[in-house]
Amino acid sequence: MPNSSSLKKHGSDQTEVGGSAPKSQRTKANSSKRLKDFEISIPIVYGTVAFWLGKKASEYQSHKWTVYVRGATNEDIGVVIKRAVFQLHPSFNNPTRVLESPPFELSESGWGEFEIAITLYFHDDVCDKPLNLYHLLKLFPDDESGPSTKKPVVMESYDEIVFPEPSDALVARIQNHPAVNIPRLPAGLNLPPPVPVEEVEKRKKGDTKDSPLIQWFTNFSEADELLKLAAARQQVQGHIAKLRRQLALIDAQPQQLKPTVDQ
Amino acid sequence: MDAKDILGLPKNAVPIPQEKKPRPPKEPQRKPDGISRELYMLTGGVAPVMPSIDVSQLKKRPPSDEKVTWQWLPFSNSARKDNLQLYHWVRVVNGVPPTGDYPFAKYNKSVELVKYTDEEYEKYLTDPKWTKEETDQLFDLCERFDLRFIVIADRFPSSRTVEELKDRYYSVSRAILIARAPSPADVSGHPLVKDPYNAQQEVERKRAFSMFLSQTKQQERKDAEVLAEAKRITELRLLAKGADESELPVASDVSHDNIGRSIIPADAVSPTNVQATSATIASPTLVVENAYAPASLRMLRVYSRTFGLEQMVQAVSSSAGLRTIKRIEQTLQDLGVNLKPKVPTKAVCAEHLELRKEILTLLNLQKQLQYKDAEGSSYRDGSYTDMPGTPKRAHRAGEQDHAFIPECLSFGGERVGKRDQKRKGPGRVAETPGASYTLSTNDWGQLKIYYC
Repeated sequence: MPNSSSLKKHGSDQTEVGGSAPKSQRTKANSSKRLKDFEISIPIVYGTVAFWLGKKASEYQSHKWTVYVRGATNEDIGVVIKRAVFQLHPSFNNPTRVLESPPFELSESGWGEFEIAITLYFHDDVCDKPLNLYHLLKLFPDDESGPSTKKPVVMESYDEIVFPEPSDALVARIQNHPAVNIPRLPAGLNLPPPVPVEEVEKRKKGDTKDSPLIQWFTNFSEADELLKLAAARQQVQGHIAKLRRQLALIDAQPQQLKPTVDQ
Repeated sequence: MDAKDILGLPKNAVPIPQEKKPRPPKEPQRKPDGISRELYMLTGGVAPVMPSIDVSQLKKRPPSDEKVTWQWLPFSNSARKDNLQLYHWVRVVNGVPPTGDYPFAKYNKSVELVKYTDEEYEKYLTDPKWTKEETDQLFDLCERFDLRFIVIADRFPSSRTVEELKDRYYSVSRAILIARAPSPADVSGHPLVKDPYNAQQEVERKRAFSMFLSQTKQQERKDAEVLAEAKRITELRLLAKGADESELPVASDVSHDNIGRSIIPADAVSPTNVQATSATIASPTLVVENAYAPASLRMLRVYSRTFGLEQMVQAVSSSAGLRTIKRIEQTLQDLGVNLKPKVPTKAVCAEHLELRKEILTLLNLQKQLQYKDAEGSSYRDGSYTDMPGTPKRAHRAGEQDHAFIPECLSFGGERVGKRDQKRKGPGRVAETPGASYTLSTNDWGQLKIYYC
């Protein structure tokens, strides 16, 4: 799913890859370290899953919840992410929780909803700046059904981490990794050979495919939204065409005289 | 009284305590002595926090040992050169008239002109465009009229513009100052020497100002839009400071300056010309600016797709007002599209952005159509009151024309009446005949077709 869709680029990117004069000059100047107009993206899902503790619930520990950042297809994102820091509400002990290896999930118990700040730190060859995400922990379901110990309250958000100018080395390292979206490489690009197979297998444990929560994970599909958007665009385009015809008609007509107002 | 008889109440028992009640509250509210009641009421009927009037002084009479009379006496004004004697009332105390100059003489100030001698004129001040005679006349008028150049220009024998006169006067004064100064350093602090008069600049400035003053409302709006975009561009430029992007900022810098300069174009420009130039410059800036959002995004080492989409959306909507943005969002909702995509992949974000741009175009076209119709005919107003059976809606439509226009294209929206939002989008649109959109539908199901 991800790889094919990523071939459709933003309008501006399209022209640039086509090679308009100033940009291609810049590419030539800086092609040593970075590839231009060539972004890689990591689709991730982050959110919370919260269970009511039912009979075991106490006043201060009524829910057990887990906050996590995972690959959108449950692949291992540790290939890019070095560390994830979850900043919890100050009423927790050690509210700054650091996770040094995937899977980046954290479980806690509590009674209140609050905003969790997630900071993702990347490997050195990826990016030296961290990325901040924010998520509101949801414990109580929207619908009128009471809290249930069996069915958790799930709140997930889909997003993509975009690296607009990845270095050659990085691309080489992760070009075949399932967690990463890489557009088709421009022709004539010489990259170092891809990572040997065994290393990839060593890292396999960081994926979330075996997570106990996997049954609650939402499967985000862009197809739905794409369809809706395409339909909407068609409608709007139809209206635009009609209005344009109307305007043309009016412009072609001679000036109308104001009718006598006799009401 | 009859009521009291009927009720059997004693006639006088109740009134007496009632009369007593109003009186005590009134006592503290009595006005203070010394000023009239009306005057006191001006302060709201309470004493001011800081007494501005010293009440005790109000009734004070002048000390009785002084004898004050008023006399009609002559006086002379030191500001006059002709020793004219006029008369006025003078307050005489104990037979002694007041001393001192006429009190208004001190306001007779005049400008200190620099006067040149003939030799100085020969040496420093000759100018091909000015004869000595004219220069002398100029200086004479300047002195008489205290450098009020508008008046001087009016009275100058040959016709010269205010700027030319000013230029001549200031350059002569400057030359004299410099010539007379013992050393250049002495006089370099003098304002005339430091900032010489620049006639060309003055002419340009005044022309620009008068054009600015005579702008129509539409032009003002356009200028405001262009300035807003320029502001956005400079902000984006601050983000894109890297060496890689140095070309783009230079390009926009040029265009930015052009916006500023286009407001002060050279020769006889009619207001519509200015409009045209600023409009044409506006569109390249829009293009440049739209290239900026991706440029500034590229400067970030990492960003999330949702953040990126937000930036692009802002770039697109920067030229639209808040109302338009709200309308775009409403249209998105009517179309069944999430304002923020649930699955923001690259493709989805691109489509979303394109959709927003198209909706913006659509709204602009609608507005254009509206204006055209407003210019064209006033049928609409008349016809609405004739509408049978829908007086309430017609009235509303007449008043809220603006808000209704986008809704007539509603793709199943709920603005008027509680209708089921889940309408079949494409099917519904096919129903509406391609009639005049500007005549807003009163009823979502039918479209009243008016001759336009």
